[in-house]
Amino acid sequence: MSIRNSLLAILSEEPTHGYGLKNRFENSTAGTWPLNVGQVYSTLQRLERDGLVEPLSPGRGSEDKDRQSWRLTDPGRGALARWFAEPILDDPPQRDELTLKVLLAVAAEHVDVLDILQAQRATTMERLQQYTQRKRIADPDDELSWVLLLDAFILRAKAEIQWLDLCEERLRHHNTRPS
Amino acid sequence: MIPFHERDAVLEFKAAGRTHGTGDRVARALGPIDLRIDESEFVAIMGPSGSGKSTLLNLAGGLDKPTDGSVSLGGRPLDNINAHDLATLRRTYIGFVFQDLNLLPGLTALENVTLPLELSGASSSRCRPEAEVALQGVGMADKAHRFPENLSGGEQQRVAIARAVVGPRQLLLADEPTGALDTVTGERIMRLLRKQCESGRTVVLVTHDSSHAAWADRVVFLRDGRIVDETRSPGTVVT
Repeated sequence: MSIRNSLLAILSEEPTHGYGLKNRFENSTAGTWPLNVGQVYSTLQRLERDGLVEPLSPGRGSEDKDRQSWRLTDPGRGALARWFAEPILDDPPQRDELTLKVLLAVAAEHVDVLDILQAQRATTMERLQQYTQRKRIADPDDELSWVLLLDAFILRAKAEIQWLDLCEERLRHHNTRPS
Repeated sequence: MIPFHERDAVLEFKAAGRTHGTGDRVARALGPIDLRIDESEFVAIMGPSGSGKSTLLNLAGGLDKPTDGSVSLGGRPLDNINAHDLATLRRTYIGFVFQDLNLLPGLTALENVTLPLELSGASSSRCRPEAEVALQGVGMADKAHRFPENLSGGEQQRVAIARAVVGPRQLLLADEPTGALDTVTGERIMRLLRKQCESGRTVVLVTHDSSHAAWADRVVFLRDGRIVDETRSPGTVVT
């Protein structure tokens, strides 16, 4: 769903060919989510089937005259406007391996949950240090998308560490209460 | 800015620990821990409440003494130093930044920054230009004559950092310096702390906020008074 809507958003700026869509998508997310060009073409086919995009006649709307360019239709514009207008609802939340691992470790015998929490905390902290190092050298004026993306990764990693801290605190409290 | 001996750590804990009480009622607040921090390093200390973070910082700043092992600043052990030398060392070698109550309300930003230099006995003609340079370094030169009450929380912390690093001081100890600040202002403070390391100083930051700790080269995790883990930024040289 996110690729489909992303392609509509990029096409709303100007008609573009498949390879251009791949490049624009990767540039706007600073190469974080590489996109297979085959995926772009198959998504374009589905969008065309649903009447949301249409091919331009050859040689129009593109700097590269040999490639097939695409543009949004009016229903495509409507679909994009609805996507922007509607908040994203993660319900039920996506399955998350770390949450599952901790819950199952708490229930399992002979597993040191505190060790699991600390190993994860250190790994997430290293990732957080990597993102922060990139943010240190990024220019928020010239590279706004990149900085916003890093902010998202940083705050998610921070939330994960906070959750691990809270798990530890609750477990300690749980383990020391009188039985 | 150079440690007393080139190869000495700026701050070193050797099997250092701190207990409270005696006999059967001994409570261990920290350690024993081994920790070496060098010139230009930025180290963050993280851990839950009661893990020993504040004890570590107090020992590092000479505000408290270890009950076992030793703590050294620039190669000089603090356990056998007399009160006068310790006071001088703290004034000339270490700067402190706390969460709040950093500035004296009756003094302007510039006067607050000048104060530690004057206490060290420097002449006021020498103090002022140095203080102005320090304020410039934190982007506060244009507000040098304002009183703390006319500065925002972030601006007050920037002045506090200038005061903590003014003069020849090598080691900056920061205890939750971004406590009540918003995210963007907090980030600006972290950038300033990094800048201090780039100019050769050493920063030790105690924080519970992992996104602030992530600005450090090394993050040391404390639990029950012990170092349980340590992570490094990519590309950080292991010494």
